[in-house]
Amino acid sequence: MLPLALAGLALALVWVAPGLMAGQTRFRRAPRAALLAWQAVSVGGVLAALLVPLATLPMLLRGDEVTEHPWVTALAVLVSVAVLLRLLVSGHLVGTRLRAARAEHRELVDVLGADDGNGVRVLEHPMPTAYCIPGRGSRVVLTRGVLDALPPDQLAAVVEHERAHLRARHDLLLEFFTVVHESVPARLRAPGALAEVRLLVEVLADRAAVRRTGEVTTARALLAVAEGRVPDIGVGAAASAPVRMRLLTAGVQPTLAAAAYALAVTALVLPPALLALAWT
Amino acid sequence: MPHSTSSPRLGDLERVVMEQLWEHAGAEGTTVREVHEALAGGRDIAYTTVMTVLDRLAKKDLVSRERDGRAWRYRAAASREALTARTMRMTLDDMDVTDRRAALLHFLDGASTAEIDDLKAALAEVEARHTD
Repeated sequence: MLPLALAGLALALVWVAPGLMAGQTRFRRAPRAALLAWQAVSVGGVLAALLVPLATLPMLLRGDEVTEHPWVTALAVLVSVAVLLRLLVSGHLVGTRLRAARAEHRELVDVLGADDGNGVRVLEHPMPTAYCIPGRGSRVVLTRGVLDALPPDQLAAVVEHERAHLRARHDLLLEFFTVVHESVPARLRAPGALAEVRLLVEVLADRAAVRRTGEVTTARALLAVAEGRVPDIGVGAAASAPVRMRLLTAGVQPTLAAAAYALAVTALVLPPALLALAWT
Repeated sequence: MPHSTSSPRLGDLERVVMEQLWEHAGAEGTTVREVHEALAGGRDIAYTTVMTVLDRLAKKDLVSRERDGRAWRYRAAASREALTARTMRMTLDDMDVTDRRAALLHFLDGASTAEIDDLKAALAEVEARHTD
C-alpha cells in the first residue's frame, strides 16, 4: 500500500500541512527557517505527487522485470511527466505574466523619475508609499509623499527593507509559491498559505531594516507609512502591519528554527524514501 | 545593480525627451528637430538618436505623433501628472491581486483605521523596550 501512502503524503503536504502551518503563527518569529520549511513542504508535496505512478509500478509488474512490461512502465512514466508538465506550464504562465507586468511598470517609472544614483527613483505623487520592482533591472521606487512624511533615518529603514527584498530575491520565492498555488486544483488550495508566506517575506525584510536602523526607527517608519495611506479596507492585508511591528522585537529563536528545519528535512526525505520502499 | 548594457542610457534619454515634450506641451506638438535642438545644448546627442528615442516612446504609447507636411509632430500622450497617477493606480489596483503582490513588493499594503490604532499601541510597546 506504499503508492497509497505516497498519494496520502502528497495530499498532506500540498493541502493539509499548509493549512496547519498557516495557523502556527509562532513560526513568524523564525521567518528564515519557516520560509525554508514552506518551500520544502511544497517541493515535497509536488515530489510525492510525481512519484506516485512510479511507486505503483512494482505492484503492477507483480515481481516481473520492468523490461517485460514496457507499456505499463511507459504509462507510469507518462503520468509522472504529465504532472510535471502541468507544473512547468503553470510556471511559464505565471512567470511571463509577472515579467510583463514588471517591464511595463518599469518603463513608466523610468520615464517619470531619474535614478538618484543609488537605484532609487521618485514618483511625484503625494501618497506616501514605497515599493520595489524586482527582476532584471530592479528598481526601488519612493513617492514624494513618503520623502516628505518620513525623516531620513526612517526613510533609510524603508529603503533597506526594499533592498533586502531585491538582494534576497524574494520575488522568486513568491513566484514559486504562486506557481504551486495555481497548479494545485482550486479545491486543494490552502487559503491562508500564500498570505502567510507573503507575511514571512515582509518580516525578513523588516529584520534587515532593523539591523540597519534599529527597532524603534523601523517601527516608526511602519506607522508613518501606514498613517499616510488612504484607509484600505477589503484588500485582505489581514492586519499584517501591527503583526509585523510586534515581530520587530522577536529576536533569535533557535528552538523554533530547529523545529522548522526538521520539518523541512522530513518533507523532502519522505517522498523518495517511500518510493525506495515500494521498490524493495 | 544588474543592468542590460544598452537600456539604462536609452531609458535615461527617454525620460529626458519626455521631459522636453512635457515642458513644451503646446497644441501643435514638437518636431524631432526641435527636441534635438533643445537637448543638443546640454549634451552631445545625435539627431538620429532623438528620432530613435521618440520612435520607441511612440511604440510604447507614451507619445502620439501626427504628420505635418514632411515632419512628424510629437506630443506626450498624457501629462506628467496623469502618467504618475496611472503608474500609482497600477501599483494599487490595476492588476489581479495575486499577481500584483508578486510583481511588485510594497513596503506596506494599506492599513485600516483600527489597524493604525493598533500600530500606535505596538509602537508604544517597542519604544518602551528601549527607554529602560
